[in-house]
Amino acid sequence: MDKLSPDDAFELGNQFREAAIALGDWRLRNRAGLSKAQWEELDDQEIALLNTASGIFTSAIGAILTDSQPALAGLKSSVKSAKSAIKHITGFKEALDLASALLLLAGAVYSGNAAIIPAGIVALQDAAEAILASDEPDA
Amino acid sequence: MTGSLLICRSFAWTLALVFFATAVSGCVSFKEIKAFASVSANAASHDALTRNYIEAPDRRKQYQPEKFHGELEAQKARREAQRASLDLLQQTVTDYMQALEGLATGDIRPYDKSLTNLSSDLNDATLLDRNEKEAVEALSTILARTVTATYRLHELKKIVEESNQPLLDIISATRKIVKKGIAPDLQVESTLVERYYDNFMLAPDNPPEPVAMALAKEVRAEALGRLENRLRSIQAYGVVLEKIAGGHQYLYDHRDMIGDDEFGRQLKQYTGELRAAYKSLLDISRE
Repeated sequence: MDKLSPDDAFELGNQFREAAIALGDWRLRNRAGLSKAQWEELDDQEIALLNTASGIFTSAIGAILTDSQPALAGLKSSVKSAKSAIKHITGFKEALDLASALLLLAGAVYSGNAAIIPAGIVALQDAAEAILASDEPDA
Repeated sequence: MTGSLLICRSFAWTLALVFFATAVSGCVSFKEIKAFASVSANAASHDALTRNYIEAPDRRKQYQPEKFHGELEAQKARREAQRASLDLLQQTVTDYMQALEGLATGDIRPYDKSLTNLSSDLNDATLLDRNEKEAVEALSTILARTVTATYRLHELKKIVEESNQPLLDIISATRKIVKKGIAPDLQVESTLVERYYDNFMLAPDNPPEPVAMALAKEVRAEALGRLENRLRSIQAYGVVLEKIAGGHQYLYDHRDMIGDDEFGRQLKQYTGELRAAYKSLLDISRE
């Protein structure tokens, strides 16, 4: 026999609970005709049914937790990537390289030091391209 | 002549780059993603959920004869074994949302500070005047922010795309546990409470004691009220999870519009609904 799916198990748990409630209602309606021993016997049965329902819910929850493992692994991997990306931003050296290259060039332009301008342009272009083309910063 | 031309071209190129930087940095805003992720991170974990579920067999001992206590202990042990997995479901969603928030926020303050230092050093060496120095600092910062924003936009799209399905699967599993497992289990407890006090009042041979009956009714109502509150609380948590899933699905469906005004307006609505659902959950939990 196949194992119960979590949905089937939840449904079964509900049926046990409803059965216990129905039994309890019957017991109360017919209390005048029941002896103390009969009353207690039925009372115990109802408790057993309710505890069984609760046990089935616990098992079904366990089955869902097991089924969720692949999704959990997938999301945890994404979380790791995101955290890695955040770390990358925090110490964003490439952007600093770019900014310093820009400053170097701007400084050269303002000061009129033509000798360092070509090198500044190359440094700036390299830094910008490296950052904008960087798809896998941690690779 | 050649030197002057080169200077002019370089200056023009630099200005073009700066204008581009200013334009792009003005367009891309992650404010609404940050807000959505921040509320989601706070709302995704509902500590009382796991705690109440595991403690339930202990609470039920008072409503059952001692001969059932061994069974309740065994059930508590089974639930205790699920604690880590139950917490992990919630914690993983929280972790993801915190990561998303961090990515949307970035951290450019230390970065700006480094730029300022760099700018000062460089300006000292090249003898720029004060106005020129300020201009260079300001423009450099804008460009650096733009590059950061471009990188963050790329990463945000990638993370949202990769995470949507597992996130929805996890939220769906948690909602199912809450709606189909923990809520009906609380109804079992309500049934146990009702029976216990009904038995006290209606069992054969029980002498009619008006004061004891009135007290029993009062205690019964209080116990059922506490359970009703727990039930409403987990139902409210279910709504919170539904809103997180809805907002993230919108984010996923419109990830190519991130930074767009209309995207921001729509996501803000999702965040508003989530915030209202979370407030409702907190209000119920405080009752």
